[in-house]
Formats: sequence, structure tokens, C-alpha cells
Amino acid sequence: MTDVETAEVDPPWEGLTGADLHAACMHAARAGSRAAMDRLVSELTPLVWHVARGNGLDKHSAEDVVQTVWLALFTHLETLRDPRALAAWLITTARHEARRPQGRKTPPLPLTDEFAESLPSTQPAPEEVAIRADRDRRLWQAFTQLPQRCQELLRLTVLAGRAEYQLVADALRMPRGSVGPTRGRCLNSMRDLLSNEGGIR
Amino acid sequence: MTDIGASRGKISPDDETLLADLGRVLDEADPPPIDLVQRVQFAIALENLDVEVARWERLDALSGVRGGGGQGTITFTVSDLTVMINLTKIGQLHRIDGWLVPAGEYGVEVRVAEHGSSSTVADEGGRFVLDRVPCGTTQIVVTLGDISCQRTVVTPTIVL
Repeated sequence: MTDVETAEVDPPWEGLTGADLHAACMHAARAGSRAAMDRLVSELTPLVWHVARGNGLDKHSAEDVVQTVWLALFTHLETLRDPRALAAWLITTARHEARRPQGRKTPPLPLTDEFAESLPSTQPAPEEVAIRADRDRRLWQAFTQLPQRCQELLRLTVLAGRAEYQLVADALRMPRGSVGPTRGRCLNSMRDLLSNEGGIR
Repeated sequence: MTDIGASRGKISPDDETLLADLGRVLDEADPPPIDLVQRVQFAIALENLDVEVARWERLDALSGVRGGGGQGTITFTVSDLTVMINLTKIGQLHRIDGWLVPAGEYGVEVRVAEHGSSSTVADEGGRFVLDRVPCGTTQIVVTLGDISCQRTVVTPTIVL
């Protein structure tokens, strides 16, 4: 009923990016705009997905978490005070959902390396994914061998915007100053794994 | 087959390069399912968004409902309400046998993307049956209470 004009006129968030886009869409969503909600969903679903996957959920569980997070947002639109903080809220909520006890198919167990190796990975195996380039395949293989904490941090770094340390720090509850060094260590581990594999050629 | 910052096979792409590569590889290797955005958009396309969200009990996820079997039991819960549904595939359609706990004569609506919705009312034992439900992206909406104090519970969408 209120969205008819959006087909004709550019929506107010047209041309905006990042937090400005999120804030403009949140503002319109609060006024009841379905187009604004749909825009947020298409814009930020990859972020929520990677948070769920970065927390070790299999694909089906990750899909459920993505839906639950969006439903939680739109049924409680008023509770998010700062619309510019939407991305951080989504990350925090997705992590919380992914870590609920029943949010996992397998109960969290203390993982020894041996036990971890015997478990089916929730990551697609390199040969299963549509990676054609040999180099990219090696990168993915190295990435999947990183500790989960590193995988999550790197996914967030890539997805949430490479410079937004504060966003990542808030969402991961890390002191701001430790995001950079931790990320650096994760990247170093990845380089080690790559060179053990004979390097990227 | 080009060397990138490599000497004697040892690679040392700088952080920026590695992150940029990783971003590309993540998009390739582990993208969200192609229809996930549409399914979320369907799930939120409710007349009234003043709802509570029930969560899928994943203990049942191994029961074969997913993966195209189209048979089995699914349980959703939210605070004090449990929604159990049992699916039977009949040709291209489903029969849904449901049970609400605690029991009550609550309204039950099943929305299927591009197929509208069908509604019924649970009996006093909390049981309901919906016949001939088409396959597709499906969401269940339960309305509890009377007009003075109405609550609506929705499930995430599932592909049946």
C-alpha cells in the first residue's frame, strides 16, 4: 500500500552504501516500507550467512539462523536504537543464535586434533566447490585448516568491510586494539599453511 | 601460473592481497544458497510483523524432512509453545498433521510461496490437519489467544 511509488521513483537509499544505506533503509522500514526491508535482506544476508558458517554451523543450520536473525530484526525494529549499527547488531545476533545449544546439530565437544579430523567438516571440501583456479583451491584449503576463531575473524573482516575494526571488535567482543594483531596472526598462519603446501604457484 | 611475491615456492602475499583473495574465494566456495534471500523475503512478507519466531528443533533435522524426502516430523518451539508437524508426501502435495502443545483451538495457517495459503483451526486437543499442501517454500503461522490478547507465532521457512 505504501510501496507503490517506489516502482516509479528512486527510493531514498538509492546510491548510498554501507552504514548510510543501512540507516536509510532502517528508517524507511520503520515506516513500514517492505521494499526497504527487502533491500536490507539482499544487501546483508551474505554477512549473516558467513557469521553463521564461521561459527561452525552446517549449511541447513546456517540457513535457519539467517532467517531467525532477520525475523528477529523486523519483529523488533524499534529495539535497535542506532540504525547505523545494524551490521554490528546482525553479527552479534547471528553469533548468539549460532551458539545456542540447540542451534547445533552436534553438541559442542572439546575437540582434540585427532577427534576433529575424524569429524565431517562443515566446510565444503575443496574438490566439492566450484573453484576452478588451482591457486584459489589452495587458498580455500588453507583457510579451512585455520582454527575456527581465525576463520570467523577473517570472514568478518572480509565481509564487514576491511577497515571497520570497531564493528568487528564489538561483534567479537574483542578489545579494539587486538583485532589487527589477531588478524595478522591468522593471516600468518594461513601463509604458513600455504607454504607447507608448496606455496601458491 | 604466475608467481605472486614468491621466492623458491614460498609465498608471502601481503595482508591486503591475501584478504582480497580470500574475499573472492569465500564468495566462490561458500556463498549463501542462491534462493536464501528470496526465502527470507517471503518469511517476512507477513501482514503483521508483530510476531514471535519459533525455532526449528534440530534434533529432528536428521529425520529426512530435508534433502527432498518430504516425509517426517519437524518440531518448532517458542517460549511456551511447541508446534510439531508430521509430513506425508502424496504425489506432488503434502498432508500436514500437526499438534500444538499446550493444546488449544488456535488458528493455523500454512503459507507456501507462489501458492497462497491454507488455514484451519486446531481442535481442543491441539491437533490439526491440512491436506493437499503444495510443495515449495513453506511457513507456518499460529495465532493464539482471543482478540483481546492475541499472539502470533511464525516459523522460519522450510523448503518442502
